[in-house]
Amino acid sequence: MNEQTLTINGVTVVYRPGETILEAARRIDVDIPTLCHDDRIEPAAACRICLVEVEGSRLMQPSCHSKAQPGMVITTESPRVSRNRQFSLSLHMADTVSDRTIAEDANPNRLFELADVHGTAGVWAHVDSPRQGRPLDVNRFIHFREDRCIGCALCTRYCDEIEGVTAITLAHRGALTTISTADELSLTDTTCELCGGCIAVCPTGAMTEKAALAYGKPEKELEKIRTTCNFCGVGCQLDLNVDRAANRIVKVTPPPPGTTVNDGNLCVKGRFANDFIHHKDRLTEPLVRDADGVLRPASWDEALDRVVEGLQGVVTRHGPHSLGFVSSSRCTGEENYLFQKMSRAAFGTHNIHQCAAT
Amino acid sequence: MTNSIPEIRDTDFMLVIGSNTSEAHPIIAMEMKQAVRRGAKLAVADPRAIWMSSIADWHLQIEPGSDVWLLNALAHVIVAEGLEDKEWIAENTEGFDTVKETVAAYTPEKAEEVTGVPADMIREVARAYATTRKAGIYYTLGITEHTTGTDNVYALSNLVLMTGHLGGPSMGMNPLRGQNNVQGANDSGATPVFYPGYQWAKDEDVRAKFGEAWGVEQSDVPGLNLNEMMKKMGTHVKGMYLMGEDIVMSEPNVGRLEEALNGIEFMVVQDIFLNESCRYADVVLPAAAFAEKDGVFTNSDRRVQRVRKAVDPPGEARADWEIILDVMERSGYENPRYEGIADVYAEMASLAPKFAGISHERIDKDGLQWPVETMDAPSTIYLHKGGVLRGKGLFQAVEYRPPFEQADPEYPLVLSTGRTLYHYNAATQTRRVDGLAEKQPEAFIEIHPRTARVLGVEDGAMVDVVTRRGRVRCRAMVSRQVKRSTIWMPFHFAEARANLLTTDAGDAVTGTGEYKVCAARIELVDDPDVRNVFPGSYQSPVELTTKQ
Repeated sequence: MNEQTLTINGVTVVYRPGETILEAARRIDVDIPTLCHDDRIEPAAACRICLVEVEGSRLMQPSCHSKAQPGMVITTESPRVSRNRQFSLSLHMADTVSDRTIAEDANPNRLFELADVHGTAGVWAHVDSPRQGRPLDVNRFIHFREDRCIGCALCTRYCDEIEGVTAITLAHRGALTTISTADELSLTDTTCELCGGCIAVCPTGAMTEKAALAYGKPEKELEKIRTTCNFCGVGCQLDLNVDRAANRIVKVTPPPPGTTVNDGNLCVKGRFANDFIHHKDRLTEPLVRDADGVLRPASWDEALDRVVEGLQGVVTRHGPHSLGFVSSSRCTGEENYLFQKMSRAAFGTHNIHQCAAT
Repeated sequence: MTNSIPEIRDTDFMLVIGSNTSEAHPIIAMEMKQAVRRGAKLAVADPRAIWMSSIADWHLQIEPGSDVWLLNALAHVIVAEGLEDKEWIAENTEGFDTVKETVAAYTPEKAEEVTGVPADMIREVARAYATTRKAGIYYTLGITEHTTGTDNVYALSNLVLMTGHLGGPSMGMNPLRGQNNVQGANDSGATPVFYPGYQWAKDEDVRAKFGEAWGVEQSDVPGLNLNEMMKKMGTHVKGMYLMGEDIVMSEPNVGRLEEALNGIEFMVVQDIFLNESCRYADVVLPAAAFAEKDGVFTNSDRRVQRVRKAVDPPGEARADWEIILDVMERSGYENPRYEGIADVYAEMASLAPKFAGISHERIDKDGLQWPVETMDAPSTIYLHKGGVLRGKGLFQAVEYRPPFEQADPEYPLVLSTGRTLYHYNAATQTRRVDGLAEKQPEAFIEIHPRTARVLGVEDGAMVDVVTRRGRVRCRAMVSRQVKRSTIWMPFHFAEARANLLTTDAGDAVTGTGEYKVCAARIELVDDPDVRNVFPGSYQSPVELTTKQ
């Protein structure tokens, strides 16, 4: 295959067939800002933030969508590019909440972050969009705030292309364009699988988490702890968003796309099934069963003595191979190591198996 | 998995068998959906119509338990049409001739009679698989939870070996692990046959090595596997220590197990919730959840990744490893002094060459995929690169054997069990998440509309599901997802435990129970309001603290 080149900001770049200008630029570390773009999703060229100048073209081109062509001469930073970017940012900002504190009340707001870096063309009169919400949606997890939405359709495209369930869609036209479901049904009554990907891709916090919103602390005030999901065997990486002072996990967010095995995706359990951690039913103290047959609270000291007495009693009466040890494929590797070491080294039997064996 | 999860999106053909991927492994399903969007072909073999079969090029809707027939017929077509990779077979394998002889009898036409899959579809899938280079096989418990589980796996690996779909990207033989750390628990030696790193316990030298490292002579008495422990409960097994496992929810034929549990002398349960098994416990120890401790999990593609403490455990609950260390110490065993959990990993890595190059420090940012044998070795993205690991890939000819139990006049339906998207195994965690409990509040049994009509069962009615082992009441879900001869229910619900119904007949090699096939019948319930559910919360802690 012939090598084909184009020029970006005076640098000659060899590009791969089918590559976009954005992809070619990234390979030489030229940063073109984007808002409605996500590497996992087909480009839509909806937000116009990524427009660049192409020599010989009267109009600027959306770099996320325009394919690289042989001999193209591209300028990603110029007064014209900058003017356009600021104009587009002002337009979008006039379409969402203007108060930054409110705009960042829950999720980070990429629109404001871009405005910080690139500036705007000024604060324009707020467009009072008559966009419809779905206030009656009874699902417990995902909340759509129509006043934040700028219609970039990242959420609906994610739902179509990545999760593949097409539960949400763009509805109506013009200023009325909104994110809706078939017949405005609750998400729980649609094909939605509650993966929450719409929340992760939304740049303005229009899609947000009900529980975290009710908790009332913005994401930027929470500490992110990277860990591995405790459900199935995919090994998704999660960021637990922790309110340190309250010793509480407020929500779970995925690491950025392209950085971990789950590529920025999570499922309903990974993202939302964390209430159990702080559930009132959690065991908080050891229990021992008395002669009357009832489990009662006990100190660790007493409980551990009972454990050792009980296990050693069985060994004395019936030998070590009358003990059975069952460990958990939900516990860590180290815990499973120590558990089998306990069985083999402290109690002298190979009767140890992890729970997933049958 | 021989290969890695991120490779799936670049594959050109997928055979998904016995895996309801979009419900059990949603993120892997996303990769598969990406591949299909890109133009990859997808064949789904499953007795049920599932989400993945709705986007598949072929849905091989097999009779439960007829996997060997289907897989041998696929092999038959490959051999009959000369599509096998003769050069690769000659270089990399042994035993092909016996497989060739065995599969000769498994014609697609006869396979259609047994499996219900049209002969032409079997031919098409066999051709597509054999002639596509980047072709991967993905399977889960629908393959292994059978009395023929090992045979099913052999039959699959025969397909891989005869086509040479091994040792390259986006292909291979890929079991998707059901739990976060199934791989890691096996890696750590939590199995009677292996010490950490798959070193055989039956090997005298291995026992001597661990005996020396741990300072205690190692027993030469072979250990019992989980299935054997459960079957010998009360007779041979007199004391149990359960860590993070709810056996009376999860083991097959639990009715019998529960009777046997009354015959044991002592049982410890260590968990984050008061689970069903606590009814039989003498001591219950409160453990920390995954977000409250440090360590590693190893996922399906052998990726060792960090688990980090984000919050403190509630009350006096403690991490499982801290509890184990205390029990060991009090029972008179002296461990070396561990400064933290990283030291425990280091001890294991020093005894298991496969993980010798892995440490907490190295996986701080990104995980590593084992084998990683030295501290400067990189991840192993896919196995068998540049030749089969054991030298020669060994073909294993297998003949079809019927499941332990088949439908008969008394129990005319085949019951299969499984997981749903919204819950997880014993569901002690997911049923405590309101949004999930609302989405899927109760147990159900899927019945084909025509079967339901014959029985007089209406959608949403309460019915009894009955097998030779037990009876469970749940709601009928009339659905075309199942075939007329099959019924299906999830195993998440304590008040309608599917495992009162399942058979504990196990695979001869692994002991894994046949959760996927048993004979059953449906009985109508006179009083539709009768609900066998605990009031209020689905589990009543009061009920659980009193021994039955």
